[in-house]
Amino acid sequence: MMRSDQTELANPFGKLTFLVVDDFENFRLSMRQMLRSCGAEKIELVAHATPAVQYCSYNHVDVVLCDYNLGEGKNGQHILEELRHKKLLKRSSLFLMVTAETSKEMVMGAREYQPDAYLTKPINRAVLEKRLGSLIRQRHALLPINREIDHENYPKAISLCLEMLPKQPRYKTWLMKTMGELYIQVGDLAHAQKVYDDVLAQRELSWARLGRCKVLLGNRHFDEATSELRGLIEKHPDYMEAYDLLAETLEKQGKVPQAQRVLEKAAEHSPNALLRQRHLAEVAGANQDMDTASEAWRQTVSLGTYSIHDDPEHYLSLAQSLSDLSEGDLEEEGAQRAEEALNVLSKMERRFPEDESLPLRSKIVQSRVQAGQGNDKQARKLLKDASAEIESFKELPADIGLDYAKTLFRMGEDQKAKDLLGELATQFENEPDVLQKIEGLLDEPVGFRQKIKARGLNREGIKAFEQGDLDTAITTFENALAVVPDHAALNLNLVQVLLKKSEQETNKADLLNACQKRLARLESLPEQHRQYRRYIALSQKLKGLTA
Amino acid sequence: MTDQNIDFSMVLASAVHDMKNSLGMLINSLDELRTDHQDSLAHSNQFNMLQYEAERMHNDLVQLLGIYRLGQNNLVADVDEHYVPDFLSEQLARHTPLLDGLGIEYTIDAEEISGFFDEHLLTGVLNNTINNAIRYTKSQLRLTAREQDDYLVIGVEDDGAGYPESMQNTSRLSFKSVDFKGGSTSLGLFFASSIAAMHNEGERTGSIKLHNGGKLGGGVFEIWLP
Repeated sequence: MMRSDQTELANPFGKLTFLVVDDFENFRLSMRQMLRSCGAEKIELVAHATPAVQYCSYNHVDVVLCDYNLGEGKNGQHILEELRHKKLLKRSSLFLMVTAETSKEMVMGAREYQPDAYLTKPINRAVLEKRLGSLIRQRHALLPINREIDHENYPKAISLCLEMLPKQPRYKTWLMKTMGELYIQVGDLAHAQKVYDDVLAQRELSWARLGRCKVLLGNRHFDEATSELRGLIEKHPDYMEAYDLLAETLEKQGKVPQAQRVLEKAAEHSPNALLRQRHLAEVAGANQDMDTASEAWRQTVSLGTYSIHDDPEHYLSLAQSLSDLSEGDLEEEGAQRAEEALNVLSKMERRFPEDESLPLRSKIVQSRVQAGQGNDKQARKLLKDASAEIESFKELPADIGLDYAKTLFRMGEDQKAKDLLGELATQFENEPDVLQKIEGLLDEPVGFRQKIKARGLNREGIKAFEQGDLDTAITTFENALAVVPDHAALNLNLVQVLLKKSEQETNKADLLNACQKRLARLESLPEQHRQYRRYIALSQKLKGLTA
Repeated sequence: MTDQNIDFSMVLASAVHDMKNSLGMLINSLDELRTDHQDSLAHSNQFNMLQYEAERMHNDLVQLLGIYRLGQNNLVADVDEHYVPDFLSEQLARHTPLLDGLGIEYTIDAEEISGFFDEHLLTGVLNNTINNAIRYTKSQLRLTAREQDDYLVIGVEDDGAGYPESMQNTSRLSFKSVDFKGGSTSLGLFFASSIAAMHNEGERTGSIKLHNGGKLGGGVFEIWLP
């Protein structure tokens, strides 16, 4: 008969605690029956996600056997994410997803959390014993390593992997994968690369190629990473991690529009991954592609219903993007979007009652939505309520402050907004991300359509200037400034062209006067603004010319 | 009727998917019945026939879905390294209740080697081949694995009458060459040969070979993976 290698573990099932999650009672009972006949003793049965998570919160579980499809509500993937995210399941525990699917489509869902194995129905006792038995033996053999990883003792885990490699050839894939990840985790990219290159020298395996690209990205070899990832995606169009990494690489290179296209393609293949939809929404927002951004936020919010990753920020972002889209659009579509924004906000307040900052943040967006639909009276009232609450803060959190300033601009209270942003710039002077957002708002306190227009004109102006066509450059920058009059870089661009032009003219007075006016607009520019030094330099140059 | 543009293959695929899952439930119930009524059912010819036919349909449907995805260019081999003896004993496990019931002896004779392949795809091929061998064997079944000429060769042998002359020495099968009068066997061979061909390494490509003989003197199915 069959060779057996069970010598090291007499009854591998005996000492372990099992949790079976399935909404069909028959399946639960038959699974228990099979586990028992394999030698298992401690077996808990539950029908749904909530009791499953609850059981794991209070009990140690070694093996979870979870059906993917649990009817209405949370599915197996949601449970897996919740257990791993809340660290209710140790790395040394096993999570097995039971499915009727022979294809790998479900594997494509999440990027952070994957089950240790899939069990495909139908499952009989012999299959369960074999499959689970070899997983348990593997778990037993690898336990010392996983224990060190659970304790975040990574160098020790790496040396254990190295020790085991020659002794346990059957776990080679696991050991190599784990070592690559651990080397990256401790920042030893050279050794990580060596692990992946060793694997790739033997065989082109997609996980090793992906690992190698992570190393390339860590070493900032962007072009190489990009081309290897594109090759990987071409060969494996359903390897979602490759898309995510490619998007990340492109973003790091500042190629945000390309990153958006990659994520759009990934979301097409696998639309049910919340974190990927969120990433797409953020990237599209950065690209001012509000249609894509709001659709991706809508998906993010909807996927959050049963997910551990659900977050009020998603609702706020969706409402904000809808507010941007609906602003000034009094047609039916605009009204619908405004209504959706208000609904999303009220849903958020009901869903997260324990977060005390949400009613205020909701009001700030609501006010903008109402203003955008011409409902001035309601907008004013909401703003007034919000102001009262804002004043009670000793130190305003950055996100609330920024969004409030945005509403102030929309309501025509420009000076108040600028003062607030000045204060925020001082308060967050060591946080480049916040400063960049403050700059963005000071420069372009307008809707995204106007932003896109002004940015386009700015590019045209620069092009004309580079071609030596000063008059066209001046007209174009002036047109752009008609849209965003306080834009620092644009004002300074215009000043620069005017100064250049004045070099060729005999009558300089008018041109220098125009420069003066432009610079005066920037008088309250915060010191932290990236254009501040350029502003000072040009001011001094002008002073020299007019003295 | 106006609906001339129905994507019939998609309708078929989703119906097949549904039937496959139903059969999965049915097979589960059969397994339970067998366990609960070991004495009366284990060697009942009708019961074993029931299980064999259900397994066969299930395999056919899995195969059909695979071929559908193949046609959609939607099937990609996700190759990883696997320890072959463990993989084979997991494959055989699914068939042991039926093998025991029918009184067929089975062995695994595998070198202790690792191989590179997509385990889901190969599971489909082996389920089908083993099921087929159960039908044609007299009393024995043997799974083998060896390394030969730098290929991993996985074999399924039986002691039946063997493959007819016309089926032997199969090289690459094309869809057109499938003789549908041959029933699911031809379709199975087409599927197996397609899956084998999806496994490449450099210039080398996987293939299947059929011949007669082997240790048991019956049919021998081999899948050669680079």
